[in-house]
Amino acid sequence: MKNSLKLVLAVVLCMFLAGVAGFADEYILGIGFTIFMYIALAQSWVVLSGLTGYISLGHVVFFGSGAYVFILIWGLVPVWLGVVFSGIVVGLVSLIVGYPVLRVRGPYFVILSFGLAELVKNLVLINEARMYVSMRPVFGAPALYQLYIAMLLLAIIATGLTYWIRRSRFGAGLRSIREDEGAAETIGVPVAKLKLLAFAISGVIPAMVGAIFIMRSGIFQSGDAFTPIVSFTMVTMAIIGGSDDAPGPFLGVVFLVLLQELLWVNWPEVYMIILGILLLGFVLFIPNGIYGWLSEKYFGNKKNVT
Amino acid sequence: MDSLVSPQLLAAAMITGVLYALISLGLNLVYGTMRLLNVAHGDLVMIGAYVAFIAFSLLNIGPLVSMFGAALICGSLGWLSYKCVFQRLLSNGQLLSRLEENSLLLFFALSVIIQNLAILFFSADRKGYEYLSAIVEIGDVRLTGARLTVLIVGAVISAAVVFFLRFSLFGLAMNALIQNRDASAIVGINVDRVQMSSLIFGFGITGLAGALISMMEPITPVMGFPYTMSAFVIIILGGLGNLWGGFLAGLLLGVLEVYGVALTGPEWRSVLVYGIFVLILIFRPQGLLGSGKTAR
Repeated sequence: MKNSLKLVLAVVLCMFLAGVAGFADEYILGIGFTIFMYIALAQSWVVLSGLTGYISLGHVVFFGSGAYVFILIWGLVPVWLGVVFSGIVVGLVSLIVGYPVLRVRGPYFVILSFGLAELVKNLVLINEARMYVSMRPVFGAPALYQLYIAMLLLAIIATGLTYWIRRSRFGAGLRSIREDEGAAETIGVPVAKLKLLAFAISGVIPAMVGAIFIMRSGIFQSGDAFTPIVSFTMVTMAIIGGSDDAPGPFLGVVFLVLLQELLWVNWPEVYMIILGILLLGFVLFIPNGIYGWLSEKYFGNKKNVT
Repeated sequence: MDSLVSPQLLAAAMITGVLYALISLGLNLVYGTMRLLNVAHGDLVMIGAYVAFIAFSLLNIGPLVSMFGAALICGSLGWLSYKCVFQRLLSNGQLLSRLEENSLLLFFALSVIIQNLAILFFSADRKGYEYLSAIVEIGDVRLTGARLTVLIVGAVISAAVVFFLRFSLFGLAMNALIQNRDASAIVGINVDRVQMSSLIFGFGITGLAGALISMMEPITPVMGFPYTMSAFVIIILGGLGNLWGGFLAGLLLGVLEVYGVALTGPEWRSVLVYGIFVLILIFRPQGLLGSGKTAR
């Protein structure tokens, strides 16, 4: 397909999805909201972990921190300004935190990302306990269709960002880090700068997603906002779909959200078990994900392992 | 609050330390010989605890006997996962190039599966049983019989394991594999078999530790997670793949944790553990005892 045709199709699809908000019922909007949420999350994860190979198992830290910043300023500033503000704050903080964290490589980074998320979660828990709040309700949040549109917007931005970064000079630098960081550094790729930038970009959107998410759930609870399940789902979606390019996570998300819709309410354990089995199978047998597998099979593109 | 020099606190630190040392030894073996990062490690503790609980409540068998059953069951799980999952991972060149990351994702998946199976079978409620709950006094120290037993049995088993790894042919083969895989294959060590045995052995001692823990702590499907984290803190403190370092770090973390909590408060426990963890990873990823080179 020609690129311009693809673009037109994408725009039509987005307009259709936005138009749906006008007349769809709560249930459909809810599913759409969840799908867009995970698309935005998984795409952001790909910017860091898919492209640089620095696998983050603690991405929920951005999601939760965004939600926390947002709830702290709730009512003080206009709603949407608050969402953007949360994203910016988390992005700036991750620029500072990322500097020492990204010096840690390979498996150490993977464990560190997880430990960091748990550390932040426990600090927030203690802080909340100290202020004698166990949870914070969100009163007067915007209507669901507004949240739906906002989430759609974030999903579009995240997908576009991943698509664009993957094809830019910046993305080429990030992928060179994944293939061989030492070699990349030797030939003059500014690896430290690129990693840090990817880390911050990868954190901003999840932070805003977190802020919007608590308006949907109507409540902020630190245990829930920082739950490792979100990180796990994000990673699984990206890996099942294929984490080297924008279409991959998209496929993974739609597939898993529909599965979740079928199973989550009545059999949450079964859902988690299936999620585990899928992750196991994909890592072992289809490490390039659905998208990588499809493009290898039908378009003859040899993709790299991620 | 107890005064910091009280023997009571010291005893608590010893108990935690011995258990940590034992649990982290299993994790370290698996990492050292195969470079697999087992984030499902704590779930083996959980399985061991459930085995002991079932043995006690249904068959009326005490944990000191059933802990060997727990070791056996967890060991078989190690065999099963090696045959089904990790043999493939370790022999596939494409997957091997990102071995640690892939193993982590695989164990992550296994952990989710195991935990949710446990919830399905046993429900998420806390379980527990009374065993040797009478208070024993030794000098100034007051302990339940169960905790005293855990301390003694844990110490004996840890010593036995360390002794075994140090002096038996099998233990030496494992050490050789940890030091250099290729060279051990050249001198005639059956790498595949030693790898499988270390997975079985590592899983087994962790299950045994789980049975011991079930004597003192409530049993839930998610009880394993904090042990996974502590075990990782420990093997990183001691240097990944460094068995002795890990053993000492286990005792050290037990002391740090118990005294740290006594100084601050129980809600700080997690922050303390993760704080040590994050700082060590950032500033000394090769571990406290490690040389300048990181174990990779």
